[in-house]
Amino acid sequence: MSSIKMFEKPLGMRDTFPIIYEKTEEVRQIGREFLRARGFDFIQTPSLEYFDTVGKASAIYDASLFKLVDSQGNTLVLRPDMTTPIARVATSKLLKEKIPLRLAYFANVFRAQQTEGGRPAEFGQMGIEIIGDASVFADAEVIITVIRLIEAFGINKFKITIGHAGVLNCILKDYTESREQADSLRTLLVERNYVGFEEAVESFDLPKTKSDALLQFISEATNFVTIQDIEKYVRKNDALEYIQQLIGLIETAGLSEYIALDFTLSSHMNYYTGMLFEVFAEGSGFALGNGGRYDGLLQHFGNEVGATGFGIRVDRLLEVIPSKPSNTQSIAVIFEEELYANALETANTLREEGNRVTLQSRKGLVDEDAFIKQFDKLVYVSQEDLAK
Amino acid sequence: MSHLTIAMPKGRIFEEAYQMLIDAGFNLPEEVEMSRKLMIEIPEEQIRFILAKPMDVPVYVEHGVADIGIAGKDTLLELRRNVHELLDLKISECYIASAGLPNTTMNEIAPRIATKYPNIAMNYYKEIGEQVEIIELNGSIELAPMIGLADRIVDIVSTGRTLKENGLVEYERITDVSSRLIANPVSYRMKSARIQELVSRMKKIVG
Repeated sequence: MSSIKMFEKPLGMRDTFPIIYEKTEEVRQIGREFLRARGFDFIQTPSLEYFDTVGKASAIYDASLFKLVDSQGNTLVLRPDMTTPIARVATSKLLKEKIPLRLAYFANVFRAQQTEGGRPAEFGQMGIEIIGDASVFADAEVIITVIRLIEAFGINKFKITIGHAGVLNCILKDYTESREQADSLRTLLVERNYVGFEEAVESFDLPKTKSDALLQFISEATNFVTIQDIEKYVRKNDALEYIQQLIGLIETAGLSEYIALDFTLSSHMNYYTGMLFEVFAEGSGFALGNGGRYDGLLQHFGNEVGATGFGIRVDRLLEVIPSKPSNTQSIAVIFEEELYANALETANTLREEGNRVTLQSRKGLVDEDAFIKQFDKLVYVSQEDLAK
Repeated sequence: MSHLTIAMPKGRIFEEAYQMLIDAGFNLPEEVEMSRKLMIEIPEEQIRFILAKPMDVPVYVEHGVADIGIAGKDTLLELRRNVHELLDLKISECYIASAGLPNTTMNEIAPRIATKYPNIAMNYYKEIGEQVEIIELNGSIELAPMIGLADRIVDIVSTGRTLKENGLVEYERITDVSSRLIANPVSYRMKSARIQELVSRMKKIVG
């Protein structure tokens, strides 16, 4: 391995320069006000957790975890997501005080990179969790919140694709002959390998009615226009009724235009038990975020009350958010040393008027021309200017 | 109609895939001048082609700088990029196999495999319960067993002629390969109508 140069950072770690910092702060502020107004309480959890608790339960692949060892020999992880720590603190403490909980977070999470650049290993995530409400209304609130939140950021070209683990399981079970077949099809869907799905269906040697149904399902299931389209594939069951009701609630909220149905949506984690969704927006090559009902995760922590939520990646949000010009004026007050008192006064007055004021002595400047280019306006505090 | 960027591998696959698009009724010029150009704009169809190394197509598509692309199954298996695999175009069909000198067995202590597909090779030998050491090469893989660098090679076989000419025989057929139409997950959603239409038109040509 080549030696590390002084400017290098670990793979995937990024500095946040002023422009991005400001944009991130703006996102934080908009998000915070918006979510608080919807009744969510913000919470923070530690950066380090035990591998045996949060690390193991997390949906993030083991290879992506940053692991450390503490002085007692326990394996620690840098938190790879916020949902799992929140599930931990909710089940162990918060649910005893209040139920249902509406929690929100804005925090950095850590995922190790193995291959290449273009992906940060530490990034901000903003999201909500509703814990202790198993009703369809909690899921509707999650989806409506994510839509309204994205709108609040000034983004209007985006889509939420919704699926349901129960509906998919029912289809896979009904149209295959064994559990192994259903599992291998589900794995192919997690990988989004539709070609592989078709090949697998053909290789299973299923009765023609079953294989035809699966092939037709895969050709249209990512693009159902209405909820009625799925009904011919599934016998009447709870999952189907649930998703029908959920879509109805989103219609009531008047937000159907942002919704697409995708019943092939599947997660590699089996704790997604009910509806799940992904968020896409024009401007980023990667999904903005995802969410769903994860009752299974709560069970992992020994609680049965049910939970649902979403998380949005702040780094991707920044790519998508339209940039808007700053409305504060930046002024440099450049003074000669004997006039320091005047300069302080001038600067304070300008700040009180709402400007962003940089106080700089002329003596301390190496390259005055380069310096003054960074400002909208210049104010000189010098003998001759005072004389005027 | 939304604009569509398509990443295509340079060379023979480009020509075959391009012909398929013409057959599917896309209004493309019969002859494209593609000497050194890396980008071709087709304003009539609102399509832009980017010409890339075959191995790079999934990278462009994963990052979303191309909405869709045409990539060999070999590169998809090797790179495991996060893209949607939409359609088997059934062009440039071949397979990946292991090969070596005739009548040889693998070294028992540390069998060595030369390949330009380290991930595919590693996964394959893992699955069959064989621990091997992978030696990554970028070309002329057939050399490796001949000069004693490796016991086996894992490589693309289309006719088997290259193997034969170098005195190698095929041992195990690992997986079939053909060109696939892939899509970026976000484009697949945001340009859903356009991509779906293209897929269904291409599907008819594939048959």
